[in-house]
Amino acid sequence: MAALKDVSFDIPEKQICGFIGPNGAGKTTLFSLITGAVRPSAGKVHLRGSDVTGVDSATLVKKGVARTHQIVRPFKAMTVLENVQLAIHYGRKAVARTSHAKEQAMEVLKLVGLEHKASHMASVLSLGEQKRLEVARALATAPDLLLLDEICGGLTGTETRSMMNLIHQIREGGTTIMYVEHDMKAIMAVCDRITVLNFGQKLAEGKPHEIQNDDSVIEAYLGKSKLQVNVA
Amino acid sequence: MKLPSGMGGWVKALLPWLLLACLLLVPVTGTSANVMKLIFITAVWTTTSLAWNLLGGMAGQVSFGFAVFYGIGAYTTGLLMHAGYSPYLGFLCGGILAAVASFIIGIPTFRLRGPYFVIATIGVTEAVRVVMNNLDITGGAGGYRIDEKQYNPTEHYFSAIAAVSLAFLVSSLIASSKFGLALRAIKQDEDAAADLGVKPYYAKLWVHAIAAVLTGIAGGIYARRAAFFYPGDVFAFQTGISILLMPVIGGIGTVWGAVMGGVIFGIVEEELVAKFPNIHLLLYGSLLIAIILFEPDGLLGLLQRLARLLRSKRSEDPGSNNPDQVLWGRGGSQGR
Repeated sequence: MAALKDVSFDIPEKQICGFIGPNGAGKTTLFSLITGAVRPSAGKVHLRGSDVTGVDSATLVKKGVARTHQIVRPFKAMTVLENVQLAIHYGRKAVARTSHAKEQAMEVLKLVGLEHKASHMASVLSLGEQKRLEVARALATAPDLLLLDEICGGLTGTETRSMMNLIHQIREGGTTIMYVEHDMKAIMAVCDRITVLNFGQKLAEGKPHEIQNDDSVIEAYLGKSKLQVNVA
Repeated sequence: MKLPSGMGGWVKALLPWLLLACLLLVPVTGTSANVMKLIFITAVWTTTSLAWNLLGGMAGQVSFGFAVFYGIGAYTTGLLMHAGYSPYLGFLCGGILAAVASFIIGIPTFRLRGPYFVIATIGVTEAVRVVMNNLDITGGAGGYRIDEKQYNPTEHYFSAIAAVSLAFLVSSLIASSKFGLALRAIKQDEDAAADLGVKPYYAKLWVHAIAAVLTGIAGGIYARRAAFFYPGDVFAFQTGISILLMPVIGGIGTVWGAVMGGVIFGIVEEELVAKFPNIHLLLYGSLLIAIILFEPDGLLGLLQRLARLLRSKRSEDPGSNNPDQVLWGRGGSQGR
């Protein structure tokens, strides 16, 4: 049994590449393979031509790859600022001085709209805010490639829209984004390219409007309909 | 260096210096030998308490094995003094050898997830004690005696104060550094910390080594004053438990909590045990149960909770907006 099989793709720089698929399609596993959390039993991961297969996540951060978690993992007993400050210290920039790191962490918090919560404990944030904190922390490591894992899951419509704006802003800053999302609508709105996974295999790949009209994708999501219903 | 804000800030900033000044004045005020000895023992225990707290409290890696470092410090000091070297060289070498031992324990076990490290620390303590019981050059189970020509209680006193000051300084520096931040993150979620670039394995190894150095120095200072020690004492499992109990009782993860635990433990050991043998076990047992049930942040947490209660009627507590939490604790178990 393989969670992912024969899945191959390229991520062009400075694009937003979406990955969708029904539950259990292998989206999160794909992320874990790329970020070194899980070592693949076969296959390779290349970053700008160099092999980074199975490299541990801390080393990968130094090479410019960062991720967020589908189920948020804030350091609850630390302040929001400290959560981001840690990433400034240990991320790619490796800022040594705490005062500098705090300033830079504040900048990132401003970008994601959490600056007013900087001194709060991470445990008191709402889910939407915790998702933003996830993005802020990953962003604070100064990545070239940012992997976003269902950052809109469980958010309200307004929160989702502002998250979409944030994603666009991050891309404009020159960061390449790999974006996994369960929700079709969110991913269609923001991605340049989309890859569809189903049962661990690549089902389709293309621009959003191509994916939208792809029969196999519609079938995977909605099932094959034998009955035609015409609504007048 | 930021200036402290408000009266509370100034008290917190000045407290360690005031305490140190008092401790340095003790010998010149004609304090009795018994009180000097009490402070000496308390300072030695507090050093180990602060050391354990770095690894167990800040980084969340529970060790039952600090007796190994304590004993290594004691025996290294004893052997070097016997060979004619300065006791201070003994303390230093004891600390370094303890750090070497910490790597031997940490390198294989910190790679593994789960309780392997905890179990290893128990096993290593027992193994080392058994070896030391049968090692001829150190006198085996019979113990080891240091023959120092001159007995100078003031020098013993000051070396213990120096050790506890060093432990406090190191703890405070780590608590406010990026390394301390990483340790706290590791305690909460190792994988999430790694996703931000922290290397948990190396961070744990280093903090373990720093804690070992401090514990080794404490062991050496204790041994020199005691002048006689044996494996069933310095390498005992009970010693490892005692070192772990202090920060837990005082307030795990906070520098002042570790100090408070060490002071209480030192006083109880020296005063109560002499008068009522075995009552200390009852006391620790009850304290531990009460702390686990009611106040996971220890006595320091309890005090802060009381202070908050008194304050709450006057003003709203910002609570979360506290930059020196690691030094002082959060007060109460909120956010756990």
